[in-house]
Amino acid sequence: MRFLTSHPAAEPERVLYRRCTVDLRTGGSKLEDVPCRNLEEVLGGFGRSFQLLAERRITTAYSEENPLIVNTGLLTGTNAMTGMRAYFSGYSPLKGSKAGLPAAIWSAGSGNFGTWFKWTGLDELIFEGRSAEPVYALIREGADGPVLELKPAGALLGLSTHDKIMALKAQYAGAHFAAIGQAGEHWETNFMGAVALSTDTELRTGEDKCRFAGRGGMGSLMGYKNLIALVAQAGDKLKPLSEAVKKVNINVVKGGGSARLQPIKRGGGGGTWANYDVLQAFHAVPTNNFRPAGNDLPERLFRENVEKSYEIKSEACWRCGITCHNNVHEKKADGSRGQFLAKFDYEPLNLLGTNLGLHDPAQAAALIKLGDNYGMDSITLGVTVSYVLSYNERHPERRLLNGATFGDFEKIRELVVGAGEGRLPEIGRGSMRLSTQTGETAYAYHVKGLELPAYQPETNPGYAWAIAGGHMSMATYGLLTREGKSDLESWVTGITQTKLNIVGFDMIGLCKFFDIGKGIGTQMVVDCLKSECGLEVTVEELAASVRRAFLRGLALELRQGYTKAEFTLPAEVFEQPNGAIKLPPVVASKAFFDELSKRVWAVFEPELEGLLPPPGPDRPR
Amino acid sequence: MRITVRLFGLFRIDRFKEEVRDVPDGSSPRAVAEQLQLPTRLIGTVLIGGVHARLDDQLKDGDVLTVLPILGGG
Repeated sequence: MRFLTSHPAAEPERVLYRRCTVDLRTGGSKLEDVPCRNLEEVLGGFGRSFQLLAERRITTAYSEENPLIVNTGLLTGTNAMTGMRAYFSGYSPLKGSKAGLPAAIWSAGSGNFGTWFKWTGLDELIFEGRSAEPVYALIREGADGPVLELKPAGALLGLSTHDKIMALKAQYAGAHFAAIGQAGEHWETNFMGAVALSTDTELRTGEDKCRFAGRGGMGSLMGYKNLIALVAQAGDKLKPLSEAVKKVNINVVKGGGSARLQPIKRGGGGGTWANYDVLQAFHAVPTNNFRPAGNDLPERLFRENVEKSYEIKSEACWRCGITCHNNVHEKKADGSRGQFLAKFDYEPLNLLGTNLGLHDPAQAAALIKLGDNYGMDSITLGVTVSYVLSYNERHPERRLLNGATFGDFEKIRELVVGAGEGRLPEIGRGSMRLSTQTGETAYAYHVKGLELPAYQPETNPGYAWAIAGGHMSMATYGLLTREGKSDLESWVTGITQTKLNIVGFDMIGLCKFFDIGKGIGTQMVVDCLKSECGLEVTVEELAASVRRAFLRGLALELRQGYTKAEFTLPAEVFEQPNGAIKLPPVVASKAFFDELSKRVWAVFEPELEGLLPPPGPDRPR
Repeated sequence: MRITVRLFGLFRIDRFKEEVRDVPDGSSPRAVAEQLQLPTRLIGTVLIGGVHARLDDQLKDGDVLTVLPILGGG
């Protein structure tokens, strides 16, 4: 980025970002410094990529006109703690409207790739068209700026995400990598491909501890483009740590915001895994395709029970003090740590464990690892498999696929492998398409074509307005469970004001755990921007920019054919209320939802005007 | 007065899952948490009789107090 002003909100055009556009058909590339049009473009991430996507008329995700945009945020690769995010954006093969148009999507991931990418001198990389042969892109620092080359990637085909990364590591010392797995290679039959991002721990130990940009099938879009991996080769560009950022970082680690994520032995809450305990108190842990039965089965995957037989190692992202990873290892007979099995985050653990009727940690770990190695989004994978199991339970006489049912690990494993290898399009194309084929859509747990994370929709009508996945782009998942809010006013305020702020993290390059409760409109972020970029931005300007970016996402959904009726929850929630969930049922009633919908649109709709480029010959009408 | 305290997650470590305890009349959930040396910054939710409550609400004899860690995305 080049800053010719210190006031980017007032003079965004005096901030320039470096973009490389690559035509995969010819291998040609163009490097340019692009002036920003508004603060969203300055901040980066989806705040910028969605404006580019809005300029295109895209009717099918797998088309040469659909770009893959790789970018970072202003604080990626800086001293600000958690500043490691890379973003992958495009029109999604997975998420789409009933009108048949693909939705714009972004997916974010940590790992070291984003930092190294930024340090090559690039802020944005746009891949146009598709390559005739499999290639990977090498981005490195040159004497006159970043240099990009496309290299043959035939030798990488068929390898897992981790094996691709390790194969590239053998060739490129000091680099970091983004790679798809076999799922992304089978883009025609698998729309849920994720992008794996290398970590320093992975490269140092050889253990498959990648991070993932999973949501919306950006790995499948890469596969369609015959773009198998990205290599970012750069030297360390960190500035000396300023007192201001040091103070912020200490606050991130020791302040209240990340306390729940720190290891228990350091006085923290032990990471997102603890959600199991909280939700089980309400019998709201998703079980057997989001139908908790009010029993204690979910407790078998409580940390306290897993710890009896497994060793849990707390680890962190590079230079991050939050240490939120809970890596589960075998425990040897002598009590020492054995082989790494999987990282237990709440979402994959639940959706590839309890929600499939599996309560054995080793089985859940095996499925998490398979999903990661094949490069599939664990949320979409888990929820689509649980739909199959639910269908089979309801129709014992005409079961789908291999007839798998809840708790049948071997058959479930077959489904995961089959999806990863591109042999099971029924699963690979997600729950919306499969449920449309079977004609039984009520218990397909997706909203707008993107599968729900591991929070019961009965507890979160805010899902309907999330623009890029349930919990990471609309933070209302705890409004009822944690805060006890069941009145309409609180929900309208949550959806339209406070809880949408979470998307700011997917602009600026920080992980949500930086300050998940408050978003990026804070003095901590203001201080980091001043210190790291020399920019004077106010809390209010940041908040306004985040809101515009969110609303632009909503406007883009409507432009891509979504009707208001599609902003809803899975029908089973309303048609068969689950009395086992011990929370006020009011927010899951159709009457509440309908009134909420009216109130939310009344706030949002007037603000959508003018956020997208006007219709033109090359623009959506 | 006598109340029942239910703990979840990390709060159970070196403590208990459920215990009937005698506490001074008019105690608040915060006072009970302090008595049990629970780290208050990690308390996400308290329930009294299964209903969401605040740390400074007043407990009464026979209440069931549930203390939960913070819920958060990930």
